[in-house]
Amino acid sequence: MTVLTMPSRSTGAEPPHVPWRGMLWVTWRQHRGVLISVPAAFVVAVTGMLIAGLKIHHDYATVLACRPAASAACQALSMGFHKDWHVANGIRIVMLAAPVLLAMLAGPPVLARDLEHGTYRWAWTQGIGRVRWTLGKLALLGSVVTIAALLVTPLFTWLFGPFFSTQDLTLLDWAVFATHGTVYAAWMLTAFCLGAFFGALIRRIIPAMAVTLAVFVVLAGVTWFCVRTFSPVTAFWPMQVFESAWLVVLSALLVAGTIRLTQVTR
Amino acid sequence: MSVLTLPAQPAQATAPAPVPWQRMLWVTWRQHRAMLIGLTSVLAAVAVFLLIAGLDVHHAYTALTACRPVNSNACAALNTHFNDAYWPMGNTVDIFMNLTPVLIGMFTGPAVLARELETGTFRYAWTQGIGRVRWTIAKLTLLAVVITILAWAFSQLFDWFFDPIMDFEAMSIVASKGVFDTRGIDFAAWTLVAFAIGACLGMLIRRIIPAMAATLGVYLGLDLLSWLVLREDYPVAIDTTDANLFNGPSTPSSPWVLRTWTVGHTNWWRYIPASRFWPMQFIESGWLLVLAIALIAATVWLVRRRAA
Repeated sequence: MTVLTMPSRSTGAEPPHVPWRGMLWVTWRQHRGVLISVPAAFVVAVTGMLIAGLKIHHDYATVLACRPAASAACQALSMGFHKDWHVANGIRIVMLAAPVLLAMLAGPPVLARDLEHGTYRWAWTQGIGRVRWTLGKLALLGSVVTIAALLVTPLFTWLFGPFFSTQDLTLLDWAVFATHGTVYAAWMLTAFCLGAFFGALIRRIIPAMAVTLAVFVVLAGVTWFCVRTFSPVTAFWPMQVFESAWLVVLSALLVAGTIRLTQVTR
Repeated sequence: MSVLTLPAQPAQATAPAPVPWQRMLWVTWRQHRAMLIGLTSVLAAVAVFLLIAGLDVHHAYTALTACRPVNSNACAALNTHFNDAYWPMGNTVDIFMNLTPVLIGMFTGPAVLARELETGTFRYAWTQGIGRVRWTIAKLTLLAVVITILAWAFSQLFDWFFDPIMDFEAMSIVASKGVFDTRGIDFAAWTLVAFAIGACLGMLIRRIIPAMAATLGVYLGLDLLSWLVLREDYPVAIDTTDANLFNGPSTPSSPWVLRTWTVGHTNWWRYIPASRFWPMQFIESGWLLVLAIALIAATVWLVRRRAA
């Protein structure tokens, strides 16, 4: 009997690495809700802010140019401009509420939905592996959310400009500080990462939503009362950089924690 | 071969007896334990905070009102201290109280029906002996009653907590939305409506998270509608030419001026006096209750006509 032996082939025995862009389609397919509603909300917000902002700047210019300044007609114009303040304040309140809603509605389902329904057993045994699966999803969704927030902030800053003098506000008033500069996008990112982390930790969607809401509110409260009061810097841009930096670090830690949780979940 | 025949027994009813309603008590508890326990614990935790903070606020306010002589520096300092210490906290809690009905509605409403529809377990639940219509009616009514009672109790505690701050800031009980919505029976009525909206949208949309988002949107729309439009048209307003009613200092019993107009040389005011607080509460809670019942009826009708 003859035996045929051949040297083992060392190349081509490993399966090809699944490319990252496979996760683009998967994330789209699984999270169309978030990927459609966030850009849609962004478009609505931008349109609304453009219309409102143009009116506000026009009205403000009219009020400033009114002569004589103490006459009844000019006072009436001032009263009319007060209505614009209500609109701007309303927009500001909606902007402040957006990270809370995002944390609650968009963050937890990313991981908790698969964990609650048991479909993670299928999702995590795909060729790409559970770590890259989770990382790809969080990166894509987090980027969409952060970029939308980054683009909205300069528009709102432009819209809000006239009110610094008419409402006697400064850049360091907390509701103004939170919607200007880079901290708004940092809060959006942190909100999303917080939701995803608690989704992975608690593994049930609705409890994760409740816990994320509570934790986010506590975090925002602590930041408002303690961190900003005892901040090592006191000027606007240094405070913005400081706050954005620690928020980004927190988000990175949350993402790392989420990945660790997916690694140890049985 | 002998054949045994017996007359048919007519008294043996072939239709099974209807399953008694009280079975649904156990089923509702079993399925929604987590939600009910979670809601109660969160409200209880906040209630403990309100109790402790409320004792503090009441103590400080009693000291403030008992301060003599009234215009001295010491009393003015007490005044400023009360404002700085308690107004930001009180205002924040008040804002959260105004958001609480919709939060409760979001977390409890869609979970009742949308979860069963999303996971497909409705095929099992609705084919139980009690039948899908009675199942839904019993569940929704039980949960609605429990949630409304919890909300009412919670709002009473908040009212006690907020009383000194309301007096201090002279917030009118009819004019201030933040005060009117959290007093009396209004808070419980809004929570009930939020739950009913959530349940109905959960049945319509059939997915929990979109239903939660939609509940938020619909509730906010309804809230704005009632605040900006409907409240001014409740049949409790009075028209008067008496200007002296509006010249006194602001107190919680101040009237709410809706609008003013001039006829010839006389000025007219349309206002709601603080004495009409309870009629306003009953009117608003009344239409909210009718709306909630209508929504629950609509939900039951949707359950009935859905092909399994």
